[in-house]
Amino acid sequence: MVGMSVLRSAAAFTARLNPLKRPHLASNLLSRNVARMEQVAVRHGSHGKSMFIIKPTDFYDRRFLHLLRYYILLTGIPVAALLTFVNVFVGEAELAEAPEGYEPEHWEYYKHPITRWIARTLYDSPVKDYEKMMALIQMETEKSVMRLQQLEVRKHMRENGDGPWFQVETLDKNLIDHSPKSSPDN
Amino acid sequence: MPQDYDKDVYPEPARQTPVVDKQTTLPNPALILSKLFYYSVDLPVTTFRGIIEGIQGDKKSHYYHQNFRRVSELTECQEGDYVCYYEAEMQWRRDYKVDQEIVKVIQERLRACQQREGPSYTQNCSKELQQFNEVSKGFQSRYGDLGAYASSRKCLMKQKERMMAEAQNA
Repeated sequence: MVGMSVLRSAAAFTARLNPLKRPHLASNLLSRNVARMEQVAVRHGSHGKSMFIIKPTDFYDRRFLHLLRYYILLTGIPVAALLTFVNVFVGEAELAEAPEGYEPEHWEYYKHPITRWIARTLYDSPVKDYEKMMALIQMETEKSVMRLQQLEVRKHMRENGDGPWFQVETLDKNLIDHSPKSSPDN
Repeated sequence: MPQDYDKDVYPEPARQTPVVDKQTTLPNPALILSKLFYYSVDLPVTTFRGIIEGIQGDKKSHYYHQNFRRVSELTECQEGDYVCYYEAEMQWRRDYKVDQEIVKVIQERLRACQQREGPSYTQNCSKELQQFNEVSKGFQSRYGDLGAYASSRKCLMKQKERMMAEAQNA
């Protein structure tokens, strides 16, 4: 009987002494009344135990990646949709022999429909560009020829002196007083 | 895939693959791999293409080759006639591009021939080899070291140098 109570108190004592399990009051250690430690089923509202994980912030990284995706897809998705629809529903042109006597329009020399559209709406025809360039060259040629001619004419006018250029205005002949010249050694 | 050019005008070289004379019972790995490639890549791609072409219907648009008229060359231009120079220069540039493509076609033929014949190509593709040598020699002598800023005028001067060298050697 006494041994049983000694064993029981020893068991209670050792059970009580585990410092990790419970906060012990000093009075509790030697008393016979031990607080019962039972396994209680804890029910969380979430899946498993919620942890407070300590790690460095990823706010800025996630914000950057979010904004990157947003701005890329803002125009990326419409462009991708446009290209898909054009390639699937309109389709590329096929190479064919030009029919007799038919002069193809300048956009009909390209294959992809978007290239054809750009050539038709935004660009001038290559023939027109060629003619524009030749017109510029013609104007510059005429300018250079005229400049060379002007230099030639200047040279001749200076040399011969009988042209309209390089004429110096002199006094009127009638203003000259010839009276002192009539009698020499005045 | 739709064909891009007329196969009668630019014919592919004739195949010279020998008749299969199998003397073992082992499976041919090349055959296995080609069948694998066919079923995993070729067939899905072709069926997809067929679906897309079904969607597109028969309203096909066409594109054509552009034919340029021949104009007078640089040697036939009066001095100081810059418009004539421009037209001759443009024609020379188009001819330069055409010659580059010709060289590429000949190179492609030689490459294909070498691939077909394997180690004995020096003997079996002598025609392609000779053609390639001629074409590349001609291209080198005409357009060889003109550089990135090549022009019809520089090409003409190169031809003049060539003719002077020939006259001196003779």
